[in-house]
Amino acid sequence: MREKLDQILKDGEEMVAKAISALELQEVKTYLLGKAAEITIILKEIPSLEASMRAEIGRVANSIKNRFTQLIDTRQEEISLKASEIPADFDLTVPGILPAGGALHPITQMCYDLNDTFRSMGFEIFHETEITSELYAFDNLNFPPDHPARESMDTYWLAGYEDLRGADRLCLRPHLTGGSVRYMQTHKPPYRFVYPGRVYRNESTDARHERAFFQYEALIVDKDFTFSAGKIMIQSILSKVFGRDVPVRMRVGFFPFVEPGFEIDMSCLVCNGKGCSVCKQVGWIEIMPGGTPHPNVLRAAGLDPNEYTGFYVNIGLDRLVMMRYEISDVRYFNSGDLRFLSQFK
Amino acid sequence: MKLSLNWIKEYVEIPPDLELSRISYDLTMSTVEVEGAVDLSQSLNNIVIGIIKEVLPHPNADKLVICNVDIGDGEIKQIVCGGSNCKNGLKVAVAKPGAMLRWHGEGELVEIGIAAVRGEDSYGMICASTEIGLADLFPLEDEEEIIDLSDFDAAAGTALAIALGIDDTILEIDNKSLTNRPDLWGHYGIARELSAIYDLPLKDYVPYTPPQCEDLNITIADIERCPRYVGVRIEGLEVKPSPFHIRSRIWSVGMRPINAIVDITNYVMLATGQPLHAFDSDRLHGNITVRRAKENESFLLLTGKELSLCSEDLVIADDVESIGLAGVMGGVKDSVLADTSKVILEIANFEPISIRRTANRYETRTEAATRNEKGIDPERCDIALAFAMDMFKELYPQMRVSGYSDIYPKPLMQSEIDVSLDWLYRNLGKRIENEEINHKLGLLGFGVSFDGDLMHILSPTWRSTGDITIANDILEEVARMHGLDNFEPTLITTSFEGSINQLDVDIERKIKEYLAFRCGMNEIFTYPWIHDDYLRAIFPEDTNDTLTLAAPPSPQEQHIRASLLPNLCKAVADNLRYYDEFSLFETAMVYWNKNFTKPYDPTESLPYQRRNAVGAIVGDPENIGTLYRTAKGIIEALPRYTHCEALSFAATKKPIWAEDTLWQNILSDGETIGSLGLLSKKASLDCGIKRSAVMLFEFDLDSLIPFASRTNKFTALPEYPMTDYDVSLVFNSNIPWSEIHKTALDTVTDDNNVEKLLQNVSFVDEYRGQQVPVGKKSITLRMLIGSMEKTLTSAEIESCANTVIRRLTNTLGAELRG
Repeated sequence: MREKLDQILKDGEEMVAKAISALELQEVKTYLLGKAAEITIILKEIPSLEASMRAEIGRVANSIKNRFTQLIDTRQEEISLKASEIPADFDLTVPGILPAGGALHPITQMCYDLNDTFRSMGFEIFHETEITSELYAFDNLNFPPDHPARESMDTYWLAGYEDLRGADRLCLRPHLTGGSVRYMQTHKPPYRFVYPGRVYRNESTDARHERAFFQYEALIVDKDFTFSAGKIMIQSILSKVFGRDVPVRMRVGFFPFVEPGFEIDMSCLVCNGKGCSVCKQVGWIEIMPGGTPHPNVLRAAGLDPNEYTGFYVNIGLDRLVMMRYEISDVRYFNSGDLRFLSQFK
Repeated sequence: MKLSLNWIKEYVEIPPDLELSRISYDLTMSTVEVEGAVDLSQSLNNIVIGIIKEVLPHPNADKLVICNVDIGDGEIKQIVCGGSNCKNGLKVAVAKPGAMLRWHGEGELVEIGIAAVRGEDSYGMICASTEIGLADLFPLEDEEEIIDLSDFDAAAGTALAIALGIDDTILEIDNKSLTNRPDLWGHYGIARELSAIYDLPLKDYVPYTPPQCEDLNITIADIERCPRYVGVRIEGLEVKPSPFHIRSRIWSVGMRPINAIVDITNYVMLATGQPLHAFDSDRLHGNITVRRAKENESFLLLTGKELSLCSEDLVIADDVESIGLAGVMGGVKDSVLADTSKVILEIANFEPISIRRTANRYETRTEAATRNEKGIDPERCDIALAFAMDMFKELYPQMRVSGYSDIYPKPLMQSEIDVSLDWLYRNLGKRIENEEINHKLGLLGFGVSFDGDLMHILSPTWRSTGDITIANDILEEVARMHGLDNFEPTLITTSFEGSINQLDVDIERKIKEYLAFRCGMNEIFTYPWIHDDYLRAIFPEDTNDTLTLAAPPSPQEQHIRASLLPNLCKAVADNLRYYDEFSLFETAMVYWNKNFTKPYDPTESLPYQRRNAVGAIVGDPENIGTLYRTAKGIIEALPRYTHCEALSFAATKKPIWAEDTLWQNILSDGETIGSLGLLSKKASLDCGIKRSAVMLFEFDLDSLIPFASRTNKFTALPEYPMTDYDVSLVFNSNIPWSEIHKTALDTVTDDNNVEKLLQNVSFVDEYRGQQVPVGKKSITLRMLIGSMEKTLTSAEIESCANTVIRRLTNTLGAELRG
């Protein structure tokens, strides 16, 4: 009898361990503990056993029954925790389901990167309308009356206004600086603001030239501001755009609305300044003009140039974005082509 | 502009240890941008002087000979040559193995090796001028000619570049960087800058003193346009090639040598920046007058181009006709010809703007015009005259000056500027000693004197034609001469006013980010001008509200946008070549030829300009319902996500581009600010969109009313369960959802019980088709039922739902769908 009980226990333990689903376990439970189960029958037959054996057999059989109940419960929990039965060959390499696409234009992305940087430096963001007059586009900015930029070969004058002069001669803005004067006329110094926007020039287009392009102007006007402070500002911006410190140099340059004027170069990122085809072997890439606002510009804004000075830069965003992604043709920006635009997230 | 370093060194002695890279860097930082430098001898590597010692016939070719050539160091090499002038004792250019040249002057550069030519070994080759890029210096007289170098005093084996004296470096200067510096358009001007940068003496010149001779009768009829005219009649000349060192100089910076007389004028221009011209004096009729051209006066340029002039042009004329287009180019008749022996040398100063206009008008952008239009000082005539007369004396020792005149009635005023030293130091951020300023500016030609805080500057004539006018110009001179690298960057102070609350700036960014990131749309940029095809497709009716460009990018693109839709539809049409389903948006400014305002200057009246936002959702025409609901959903949710006043819809005014039955106006605060709708079939086809449905929206972004902060309030969460109760009902197909919705919600006004229990009614879907009768539609709606006070029993829920259903049945004739 003891051997039989031992065998029942051993078989039962194996059966419980082998059950891998709730259904199988239920069957095992019925087999081990049901009415027809061996252990049930043995327990029923205990009164008919010899008195000397009753206590012993009864104790062992009960403990087997309890053991089965306990094992089945434990197994039950193990099976239920394996919520679904995941096949072993589940393919983990299938592609993920992507979130709905959609993206800002790469120039907008750059613009917002710059906005965030400048805002963190306390700059205000300014925007203005795009049709302006010769007064603001040229006269206020110290362009000589016969400057070639004023001719229709360069500037998009509006039909019906092209032969007028000054405030009556309307055009699509050829640059943002005229709008900066509007800002200064309507705000009190000192100024720290940026002015992102699109500008329009009548010229022929090719891979490097566009008729409509994005500029980003930053202007500081204050008392006792030295042009060398501008260098720090530029370095801060570029480190945001390119994610690391970029050496910058300022060299002489000429623009009607600044004096002194500078060409601002950054170290070529392709060759780290060693010289390559991208930077025409010089190690530097021209990225923006800058300088101290010309006294006539400050006067147009109603400021005394003996009292106020400042620093101005004008960043060509198209160019900067082209450098960021190594884009070869500026005309993609206005193409509306999703094959191009969807590459920038 | 190209500059020869050797030429510059004639005027300023650059120390031999000063490296080219340093010179390029310093010039770039302080003066003009050096874009590159070319070593002329590089292209002549492995090409040396050879002397032909023996010429033997080639056994296998009639036109070839075998030369034994001394190529230096006692080496005699056999070279096969086809030169027609090949002869014993000839000094030639030998391309040794390794040299690069062009076969017969054409095609790509190829490397020369040791090769057999028709069975005979040839150690490199004897060159023709065309093969090594020297055709301009050694013009071919016949096609098979090799260069004859017998006139050059150089031993066999000497590198050709050294033998010719063209072992030079040519600097390439970015012309844009010197538009404002008329003094730098010649080697002497650049030499002056280098003398100041490196503290080196600049070679002076001796002004020319004319001999006793006849006064030339020169009249300047327009003194504004021609402030100075120097004429010199020189006799005893002949037309001959100029000496090699002059030809090579001119050639090295990109001009072609012509003959000695013309070469002198070009040489002096390249040296000083002052253009000169020589007229054949024997061909002149009478005296010289500088005057305006007559209207339609015809004139034949030196190049053979015939012009019809206008009275805006300035000409040099004799008593009969015009002989030169002043400051731009001479005429064909009186230029230096083969038999010229007497010239009138013109060194004149012209008003720059009219020169530029004339040059542009006739598309005649010459070296002379390029310099004259920059605004040269009239005093430049003096140095040009001195240089030119020295050269005439050198090249024509027998020449004689028989007439001279210098008309210069109103000498140039030199700029005088007072600069406050305190102001200077404040702007520089540092103090620079008077002595340094005086010394450096002195080297540049400025007169400097100090009086307490004031520094008085007398600008040199060559900087007084508009370049130097104000104290800031002096600031720049001081800064660049001190070295822009030598200013320590100072820190920027900040102030935070202004940058905090910029609702009008923020709203645009929020909308862009909402459309891109939440709605999955792609932002595009389009041009402000619209092609007529797309303008007419979207807005077929003419309107005077659109502004146009005077000189548009193309004749079909004269209109500028009053709506962003036409260019959006163009982008849709373009993208349909690659994609079936996509969505695009743009925010940009539109312009209307109306509602002019004067927001800034009282004299400046600007047209109505607003920021617009526009979007297109493109997909299968089978799914118009979904496309419509997608577009509408974008507008519906926009105020919540971008934090502005709510938008609503109404059908007030149909947009012209929309399908008759599928459009809505968008309203903000009761005002129509835009529209939403399906692009009509006709407009689609006109845009080239054949098979896709395009749902569009456009609204005035500036009309949105942004909130200063987030405004919604927290709603308490229900304590008791809420139940969704879906029901499908069949309605007549002309009953809109808005009415069904309103009717369902209105149940609460009738029934107290429902009021407390019906929390919301929402749309699930609509079905039309075989399952419902014609003229009917099935609407599935969802009621949210629950109480704030207790958990409802299912009977209570049923009762509430049935009340709503009954109301829909009674009021709108709805039937429960089986």
